[in-house]
Amino acid sequence: MRMNVIEVNNLRRIYKSTTGVIKRTSKEIVAVDGVTFDVHEGELYGLLGPNGAGKTTTVKMLTTLLIPTAGSATIKGLDVERQADQVRSRIGFVFGGERGLYWRLSGLDNLRYFASLYYVDPDVARKRIDELLDLVGLKGREKERVEGYSRGMRQRLHIARALLHDPEVLFLDEPTIGLDPVGARELRQAVRNLQSAKKTILLTTHYMFEADALCQRIAVINHGKIIALDTPENLKRTVVDLSVVEIELFGIPPEVVEKVRGLKIVDNVAVESRDQRQVMIVHTSNGPEAIPALVAELNGLKVGRIISREPTLEDAYVRLVGGAE
Amino acid sequence: MKEKTLLGSLRVMLLSFEVQLRQNLTDGFVLFGILVQPLLVAFMALWMLKDKGPDHAIFVVIGSGLTGLWTTLLFDGGNSITGERWNGTLEPLVGSPSSMRLIVFGKVLASITQSLLSMVGCYTLISLIMGYPLTILHPGLFIGSVILTVFALVCFGLIMASLFILIRDIGRMINTLEFPVYILCGFLFPIALLPGWTTPISYLLSPYWAAQALHGATSGTISVNKILFAWAMMITFSLAYILLSEGLYRKILYRARVDASLDTQG
Amino acid sequence: MKKLISNTRIFFQGAILSYRALFRWLRPSTYIASKVLAPLTVMIFFVYIGAYASGSNDASYYVIGNALIFTASSGIYGVTMSIGGERWTGTLPYLFGAPANRMAMFVGRSLVHVLDGMLGGFIGLGWGALLFNLDLSKADPTALLVTMLVTTFSTAGLGLLMGCLGLITRNVMFINNLVYFLLLLFSGANLAVSSLPRWMQAVSQAIPLTRGIASTRIIVNGGGLAEVLPLLRMELLIGLAFTLAGYSLFRVFETQAKRLGTLDVF
Repeated sequence: MRMNVIEVNNLRRIYKSTTGVIKRTSKEIVAVDGVTFDVHEGELYGLLGPNGAGKTTTVKMLTTLLIPTAGSATIKGLDVERQADQVRSRIGFVFGGERGLYWRLSGLDNLRYFASLYYVDPDVARKRIDELLDLVGLKGREKERVEGYSRGMRQRLHIARALLHDPEVLFLDEPTIGLDPVGARELRQAVRNLQSAKKTILLTTHYMFEADALCQRIAVINHGKIIALDTPENLKRTVVDLSVVEIELFGIPPEVVEKVRGLKIVDNVAVESRDQRQVMIVHTSNGPEAIPALVAELNGLKVGRIISREPTLEDAYVRLVGGAE
Repeated sequence: MKEKTLLGSLRVMLLSFEVQLRQNLTDGFVLFGILVQPLLVAFMALWMLKDKGPDHAIFVVIGSGLTGLWTTLLFDGGNSITGERWNGTLEPLVGSPSSMRLIVFGKVLASITQSLLSMVGCYTLISLIMGYPLTILHPGLFIGSVILTVFALVCFGLIMASLFILIRDIGRMINTLEFPVYILCGFLFPIALLPGWTTPISYLLSPYWAAQALHGATSGTISVNKILFAWAMMITFSLAYILLSEGLYRKILYRARVDASLDTQG
Repeated sequence: MKKLISNTRIFFQGAILSYRALFRWLRPSTYIASKVLAPLTVMIFFVYIGAYASGSNDASYYVIGNALIFTASSGIYGVTMSIGGERWTGTLPYLFGAPANRMAMFVGRSLVHVLDGMLGGFIGLGWGALLFNLDLSKADPTALLVTMLVTTFSTAGLGLLMGCLGLITRNVMFINNLVYFLLLLFSGANLAVSSLPRWMQAVSQAIPLTRGIASTRIIVNGGGLAEVLPLLRMELLIGLAFTLAGYSLFRVFETQAKRLGTLDVF
């Protein structure tokens, strides 16, 4: 039985927002609605969901930056709300983006500062910064000011910063956002290397292929709730009964989508834009047999390619979150 | 796990000092308050008080230096936490195991130290260019007063930084807090000129005691005993602020985590 | 005729837009804090230094001078933020492309600040009467009104120029604060112009406000409009000169920006 490093129990987070200047009305938004899951030691765990699903909010609660409205969470047995200080020295987190760095300072100075905030011994820090700069590919650029860095470089600096104190637990919130494909691939490899170094990692992403490629288990989250929790293989199995028919069209009127969706043989319909065309992705159990019925509904429209294929994790995901995109 | 050694904590403070120093060097708004404004105030006060004789020059240097210290504390030190939030770096700071108080202390210390340079600037301007004699009556007491002033103001800055985060609309109000302290603390004229009911208020402000000590040590405006009393007051205030800050910081940081206000983008 | 109507419309549009854009964030508390209280604190400060310097009870010299500074605050901060603030709100490019007569738009924007400044001036005199027993009984109201109007017009002109400088540099607030203090220094509010070194007197004569303050002092002491007319005429001319300078600077900036295709021109 592997030990649980992260235990999340019925975590809830409500945001209150007030609008209006004279007559103030307040709204409550439930960002995270009773989330429960565990992450084992040395596991690379994925939190997968579309934008606004509650991934970042969950991670912020786990990294002690937000107090949960209800529920609890522990990291290595330490409560994130009441033992925040102890949690902080054991975890590293990356939220990325443009903010979170001192722009007028060099990359190196940023790292030196944060190393001190984590009480890393200066000699150890110097060596580790050197290694980390190599790891994230910023060697040679570290003396330049962060304001001159590209988006990708900043992202990589964020990651270096999270690793300065060699934490056992890492939280990566959409770490490959803003990276070019090569950089993203290198980052994923680095994440794999970290995992083989026995670190426990919680990764959030909205890229299904990324979760599939990296994670040992995935929790699919939408509208603040976990709607599925399993290994990638098992999640793919949920759609094993599924067939996917992709129909390339040039302009799809919404009424047609509704009509297709209404067909008995159709489970789900999603529309994707690819370059100049639109592709209607139909989930059905009949596969190739369904094609004639589908085409019948497309009477009059100009049709491109039609493919029938096996489902991927992406399709499983679409099925789970209801074709939202 | 890395334990929090004393040396480590010292490093946190020193590096926060360094980061703040570097950030300020390119900030025109801050530099104005630190360097330019005190010089302009010094010149004006010098000219206005010309008829009081050349011995008044040192009074003006100290007084205008104090105005620089307070303006810096108000606009720069007070925004220690809110500035980090605006910069997007508050979350990484709070998420680290370091104490926020230590970080703020380092930052405010940097601002105050930079501002002290303005006092040096006034000194240079007035003694070299104007040719006024600038004798310090009690050099030893002067140095002691400077050290205690810095310490007292930085401790006050600790409290201010937390209040700025607590009071939402503080930005709109700080302009009105700048000159009243110059007035009530007797920086460039004795508070005896003010109506009597303001005197208790003056006593409650630590910059008042700083001004008493500094003017006393340089111009001899008060006796040595009174200077030492001012020292005692500054130490008392500082300790009170430090004690108060512990509970205050715990409270505001907890509140910020509840309200999701560690980051402006929520 | 059509052009006149169109220009007039633009004139008022500019004025309203300016007011709305800038004071959208304004609440009564902010207005009171920044326009009524903050300048008062500056006034009290300098009046007391003046009292300390002259050792007398009659501070009317300083009171009048500092009351007029109230008008400057509107002209400077208001107008410079209006133009310098354009950059922040990103509406500048639209100003470039508009076939509208820029002069009309500019002056329109200043109109609001002139009115605001006059209000400030009267608030200043009001405080003077209330707190420092300023005796306004001998002052001719018409003369006072005209003086105020002319003075705020000329400080708004200065503000226009400063605002255009703000387009070029990044530190608008630095410039604002600097000009505010320089006005305190050179306008005769606190330091009698005649007592300043020769080169500084030249500066005093070249800037707005100096003659406005001098005129106000004459009027409060019972002088009539005829006496101050020569001064006001020069004040008006100076205001026009600064407005034109600001306008030309804006055109230079605009040409450069169009040529380089960016707003980061210098």
